[in-house]
Amino acid sequence: MSHPGEITRRQLLRRIGLTAFVAGPGVGLLSACATGGTTAAPSASAPASSAGTDPKNPFGVDAKKGLEVVIFTGGFKDDYAKLVHEAMYTKSFAGVSIKHTGTQNVGTMLRPRFLAGDAPDVVNNSGPEAMDVAALAAEGHVADLGPLWDAPALDDPGKKVRDTVTPAAIEEGKLNGKDMTLNYVVSHRGLWYNSKLFEKEGWTLPQTLDEFKALGDKAKAKGIHLFAYPGQKGPYYMLWNMLYQAAKIGGNQAIIDIDNLVDNAWKSEAFKASVTAWHEIFTKYSDKSYLGLDHTQTQIKHLQDKFLFYPTGSWLEGEMAKDKPDTFEYALAPFPTVTANDTMPYGAIQVGTGEVFFATAKGKNPQGALEYLRIMLSKEGAKGFVEQTKSLTIVNGSAEGVDLPPGLASANKVQTAAGQSLITSARFEGWYKELFDYAWAQQNILMGGRMTVDEFLDKVQKKADDIKADSSIAKQTRNA
Amino acid sequence: MRNKPKPSALSGLSHVALAVWALLIILPLLWTFLAAFKDNTEIFGDALQFPGAARWDNWARAWEKAHVGQYMINTVIVVFFSTLGTMLFGSMAAYVLARYKFVGSKLIYLLFVSGMAFPVFLAITPLFFVVKQVGLLNSYLGLIIVYIAYSLPFTVFFLAAFFRTLPEAVAEAAKIDGASHTRTFFQVMLPMAKPGLISITIFNVLGQWNQYLLPLALVPADRSKWVITQGIADISTIAGYEADWPALFAAMNLAIIPVLIVYIIFQRQIQSGLGAGALK
Amino acid sequence: MERLRKYGFVLGFLAVPVTLYVVFVISPYIQAFQLSLTSWNGYQANPAFVGFENFTRLFNDEVFWNALRTHGIVLLVMPLVVLALALVFAFLLNLGGGSRGAGMRGVWGSTFYKVVFFAPQVLAVAIVGVLWKAIYRPDESGVINGAVMKLGGEPIGWMSDPNLALWSLIAVMVWQAVGFYVVLFSAGMSAIPKDYFEAAALDGAGRFTLFFRITLPLLRDTIQVGWVYLGIAAFDCFALVQVLTLDAGGPDGATTVLPVEIFKTAFSYSKVGYASAMGVALFFLTITFAVLTLRVTRREKIEM
Repeated sequence: MSHPGEITRRQLLRRIGLTAFVAGPGVGLLSACATGGTTAAPSASAPASSAGTDPKNPFGVDAKKGLEVVIFTGGFKDDYAKLVHEAMYTKSFAGVSIKHTGTQNVGTMLRPRFLAGDAPDVVNNSGPEAMDVAALAAEGHVADLGPLWDAPALDDPGKKVRDTVTPAAIEEGKLNGKDMTLNYVVSHRGLWYNSKLFEKEGWTLPQTLDEFKALGDKAKAKGIHLFAYPGQKGPYYMLWNMLYQAAKIGGNQAIIDIDNLVDNAWKSEAFKASVTAWHEIFTKYSDKSYLGLDHTQTQIKHLQDKFLFYPTGSWLEGEMAKDKPDTFEYALAPFPTVTANDTMPYGAIQVGTGEVFFATAKGKNPQGALEYLRIMLSKEGAKGFVEQTKSLTIVNGSAEGVDLPPGLASANKVQTAAGQSLITSARFEGWYKELFDYAWAQQNILMGGRMTVDEFLDKVQKKADDIKADSSIAKQTRNA
Repeated sequence: MRNKPKPSALSGLSHVALAVWALLIILPLLWTFLAAFKDNTEIFGDALQFPGAARWDNWARAWEKAHVGQYMINTVIVVFFSTLGTMLFGSMAAYVLARYKFVGSKLIYLLFVSGMAFPVFLAITPLFFVVKQVGLLNSYLGLIIVYIAYSLPFTVFFLAAFFRTLPEAVAEAAKIDGASHTRTFFQVMLPMAKPGLISITIFNVLGQWNQYLLPLALVPADRSKWVITQGIADISTIAGYEADWPALFAAMNLAIIPVLIVYIIFQRQIQSGLGAGALK
Repeated sequence: MERLRKYGFVLGFLAVPVTLYVVFVISPYIQAFQLSLTSWNGYQANPAFVGFENFTRLFNDEVFWNALRTHGIVLLVMPLVVLALALVFAFLLNLGGGSRGAGMRGVWGSTFYKVVFFAPQVLAVAIVGVLWKAIYRPDESGVINGAVMKLGGEPIGWMSDPNLALWSLIAVMVWQAVGFYVVLFSAGMSAIPKDYFEAAALDGAGRFTLFFRITLPLLRDTIQVGWVYLGIAAFDCFALVQVLTLDAGGPDGATTVLPVEIFKTAFSYSKVGYASAMGVALFFLTITFAVLTLRVTRREKIEM
């Protein structure tokens, strides 16, 4: 489970990304957060049994073999699979039969089937019941995607698939150094605000913590809270927020150390400064009642200009499109600068990938599964996804010719301005979900005023230590 | 010596207490009904406001997305047969366990009763394999059989207690008349146990109507065989993803209203059945 | 011959139910018990045997004890409140109408009340959860807080205040359960011969005396059975906690119960072996409760 969102229900699924827009010109930007050489040696277990050379059929798919696809039906639904990717597959292999299942209960439905040796071929493993990919991989159920990345691209056989996507996706799809998952969509996370309100009031974006709080005072005078996050259903938006802020202060290493369970990583200067700042912002410039609201309720209050800034990802705009009044226009703001010597400049932004697909290794048609993923990564396949879901994929240029909604356009601008200052995703969210859940639960206690910042850091650090010491939990590491 | 308490004051107080509780039940249901006509902004705005318009499209979306009609029919089919089976097999087992002494009867009874105490979802994975092995995954029949099996503990527990209270003399008389054990059961004991049977039938209908976990695990793949609880859970998840809360409330009403209607039609039978069963 | 016939009959009647039960209930349960001795993560083909390690770990698990605490409180409070309210309502419905003339009557409209009171019982628990979530919302969009704020009060964090959340949860359980017991007790009261009351009334007994001296003792058995049902319900409440409370069991674990923790541990954290151990613990707790209650109350008709 390589990407940050797997864990949580709706969010995960919804990560609507921006990269497709940015993709053409923006590839370089994204690559900043991926390590340079992501060349996984093609493994021997690659299912490309016979003719690995035919660019039309690099994996040697048997055209007569059926394919079974299971799609998590969250915010993206599953039409993109039925109408686009599966249709393309049946076109490539005329007469082939595809069994399609859309479900929200991926785990309940598939866990027993994997045990029974009756796994489907392609799985969109997302949502609240996403399966533990590391555990599945340990049992040999997950196909190595190395051959996929090294296969010729569907539309341009001169190019390898890996050169047609944002490198961050390949990096975040790794598990223990192996290419395991295809994280299909991209999202940008930061602080969302109503640009029309700022225009009307003549406010400018605060760049430092002091300016941020000063704006909070101005807003307070108008009966507006500076900031809010949902205490229910999306409390981890706040945890993300504090983690990303810590990376802005102390560099991505702050998050990498937390992911690697480094001793006292949660008590780093950077994370402590971040938590202290956001604790002050929430307790002084927000309201405890948000702790009892869920994301939808909080977002509706945002649309009503009850507060200024909301921490989440770029799926927000699509999620609230139905309810958005004309007086509201989404825009993305970077994190404020907290200390005089923050490692990253003002403008740094977080870019992450999500919606996790994998191919099964012990299924009936592993070659077909890889081919299906290759189809998803083609221009046509990615564009079809964008059209169906209004969300962006990791495929470069997949949204060419699509009008940018204002929020996405704003995120695009922020990313261009951010240049190389990209904040990494926190991977422990998927690796050690127990730690992640514990951390946001404690965070709510902290924000509710029933704990001090130091107590919070102590408690979460202790939980991290427990996880580290628990031999029954398989450990993951990352270098960048 | 006072002969009579003051009926008027007390009766007035009684009415207040009863009316307050009745309102506590009616108002939330009414609010839910009204919420089905609101839009998101109204649902998350002032709770005490009426919807701005009668938005029937909420209901249309709910009907279409939650497939309420289809899932209701499926549920009725499954619950009808599973309740029937539960009552038949449950009363047979309970009768034998309650009124016949034989080696192992206590053990079998305990085995049944202890089934009430274990969380079903822990057994879900092994159960999946069992159902798969007998080839009943994704079928009504599989669901019906599993519902029956999981309803047996409470049914046997309840009915065994009930059969124990029935007078010995009647069974003896039947025996002297030369009736077989089976005939005695069906023609003498079962009719006598009618109040208890009705009461436990109601329990089972309600319990099986509300089952969520078992169908989720056992008919996962085939949406056309889903039951109503799966539909509601589905739309409630979708509501989270698409922020379509009005459709969720409409779907809830679609699930509540038919049940309430059926309940009101049969309320007299339900009440007398429950009462009689519990008293024995 | 008769013996043979009897055994044949017993066997014939037990064959189908016992087979169904053993195949579909007992055998999966036995496997779950076995899993409690492993470190199975839900995906391994061969779970590793760890002996009683899961159980010793359980003993030191804060979450486990916290969940037990919730069960304890619910077990004490919920049945008590439900039974008390139900008795009072049933009494008012059946005998609150005054004793003019010879007989005791129910209040006017008692049929209506009974129908309404029982209604929550027919709603799916998931629906009850979603409904009350809306009622308990912490701002003006909540039904209660909307009213409170209209009256000029501060909104109350029904589900978000850790000191309040459990009581709010119990209130919903009470809300749903009371009607069932009202109906049960009403039937019981109407079965009490009218002349009992008349005789007592002639002796000058007031309404309260009637309630405590006649109604209550005669309903003893029914009340005891109700206690057992409600107690078993208190050990479950999975669906309601899952749907209604903040992040299933929150805030700060104030409303968490064992089934919810078991579910999380097994399926979110991939620790099925450990979760099974929790399930086994829950099993023995429920059994112990049921046996104890029934033993203590010595109800002859229902015995374990």
